[in-house]
Amino acid sequence: MTVRFVPQLDLAQREALAELLLSLADDEFVIGFWDSEWTGIAPMLEEDVATSSIAQDEIGHAKALYEMLAELTDDDADRIAYGRAAEDFRHAALLNHARRDWAFSVARRYLYETADAVRLTALAASTYEPLAMLAGKMRREETYHLLHADAWLRRLADGAAEPRERLASALRTLWADAQELFAPLDGEAALVRAGVLREPMHALDTEWQGQVRRRLEPITGELPAAAPTADGRTRRTDEFAWLHGEFTSVASSEEAAIW
Amino acid sequence: MPVASVLQYPWFAMDDADTIQPLNGRPPYAPGDADAFYAHVGSGGKVEADDWMPDDYRAAVLKFVEMHANSELMGVLPERDWIMRAPTLRRKLALTSKIQDEVGHAQLLYRVAEDLGKPRSAMLQDLLDGKTKFHNVFHYPTRSWADVGIIAWLVDAAAIVSQQALRDSSYAPYARTMKKICWEESVHIMHGRDVVLTLMNGTPTQRAMVQEALDRWWGPLMQMHGPPTDPARDKDLHWRIKAKNNEQLRQEFLSIYVPRILELGLRIPDPELRHDETSGRWQYTEPDWAELKAVVTGHGPASEARLGFRRVNFAETQWVRDALLGGATAAA
Repeated sequence: MTVRFVPQLDLAQREALAELLLSLADDEFVIGFWDSEWTGIAPMLEEDVATSSIAQDEIGHAKALYEMLAELTDDDADRIAYGRAAEDFRHAALLNHARRDWAFSVARRYLYETADAVRLTALAASTYEPLAMLAGKMRREETYHLLHADAWLRRLADGAAEPRERLASALRTLWADAQELFAPLDGEAALVRAGVLREPMHALDTEWQGQVRRRLEPITGELPAAAPTADGRTRRTDEFAWLHGEFTSVASSEEAAIW
Repeated sequence: MPVASVLQYPWFAMDDADTIQPLNGRPPYAPGDADAFYAHVGSGGKVEADDWMPDDYRAAVLKFVEMHANSELMGVLPERDWIMRAPTLRRKLALTSKIQDEVGHAQLLYRVAEDLGKPRSAMLQDLLDGKTKFHNVFHYPTRSWADVGIIAWLVDAAAIVSQQALRDSSYAPYARTMKKICWEESVHIMHGRDVVLTLMNGTPTQRAMVQEALDRWWGPLMQMHGPPTDPARDKDLHWRIKAKNNEQLRQEFLSIYVPRILELGLRIPDPELRHDETSGRWQYTEPDWAELKAVVTGHGPASEARLGFRRVNFAETQWVRDALLGGATAAA
């Protein structure tokens, strides 16, 4: 067993850390669900297999993060994932949208993977060692997701008018909600002081925007000024309510059952 | 027809190179000599994609492999309904991975079929048009989470009984592909049994859910291997495209799985089912062969819904294939 350095955190810091872990886990869980919906119906068999594989990685990351959170709060990973009301989820508004068409999925995955890369790099330097180690492991897998999303972005952007316009339209639709991956967390200042979070979320957002605007604006035209907002991780939509209804339908159908 | 060696011996077959020997050099029959060809396959000989073969053998292998590929692809849909509803993180991962395997099998099998001369796009179009068939079990709806367990455990078990026999197929690329597929299917069976076992150890409602699923699936399971055929007139058997006849496969399935089903405390919904000690064979109520015929010709309870769903999705993603490959002739 690896000996981990776990800094002594006060109550406020522990609560803030729990909020951070929950937001990370919910992001991976919800995007993993939307992407897994392509299983069996992707545009071609090769992409079907690839998308399903990526979705499994995301759910695997969510599982590891929920387990870390469960250890911190003396809870159970499946209870956290399947036992909450829709309004208690903390994923970013980017993930509130249903799957829609392939261009929409490519656009969301590109925005997500590039933002996640910035976030994971910051978390790999966390003083909370279990999280730093997990972020390092996740980053190795996410590199391939990013390559995959990037290849598709290029293919659609360099294609004929229809694929290019579908992609551009999806990117413009999702741009503001993508900022919410860096929405401020309750108790964030305490995390930054303890070094659990290297920089405040808004600084990571600025770093990310600096990277992706250059790549996206030739496709979309000038993207509007955008920044994370206070309710970026608490806004919920009917589309997410539908998803929540689906993934809790079996789990909540029988009191205290094991599945 | 020049075929790169990488096509003949895909990466996953490398470990098996010692068990299915490629024919070094020329096959032991002259191109064009159909009698010598059939003597070769009749005595257990293997055929590679770029060997000469009679047209009727090529057509029979293609039809067999194409239906298998179609079945893997259509078999995704009943379980796919539950990808969004899997009730724990572990089940979600296992089910997604299992269904991904089935898509992967379809891809491998369409490649085997493509080498016989029919493009993948044509096979998918024929499937969508209802011109080609897929296995009966994938024409039925799913109703509960227990169906996920019963399908992965018993439908995959019934399939693997016939697929294991196909590892001896005279068409060597198919035989090699079946080795990989069988290995993955055996993992699916463990996943399915674990789902069922967990439910059977659960609440009375959960146990009832499994029994209700088994009651619904038993008829299609008994029909799955098809009616007994006259081995003398079954050319797939004669040419060793397949190695065992329908009734042999059904008997094998019953021998292995009836005890396992009963062991979990489930009832099998067939009062006539028993093992006859003198003949060594399973007796059972005659399966409904009229139902089987209707179902595989596209008149099953979910046939139209499944094909319709696939048609809609295929049409909605056509622009992606066009963007990638250019033109309306792009293959899926």
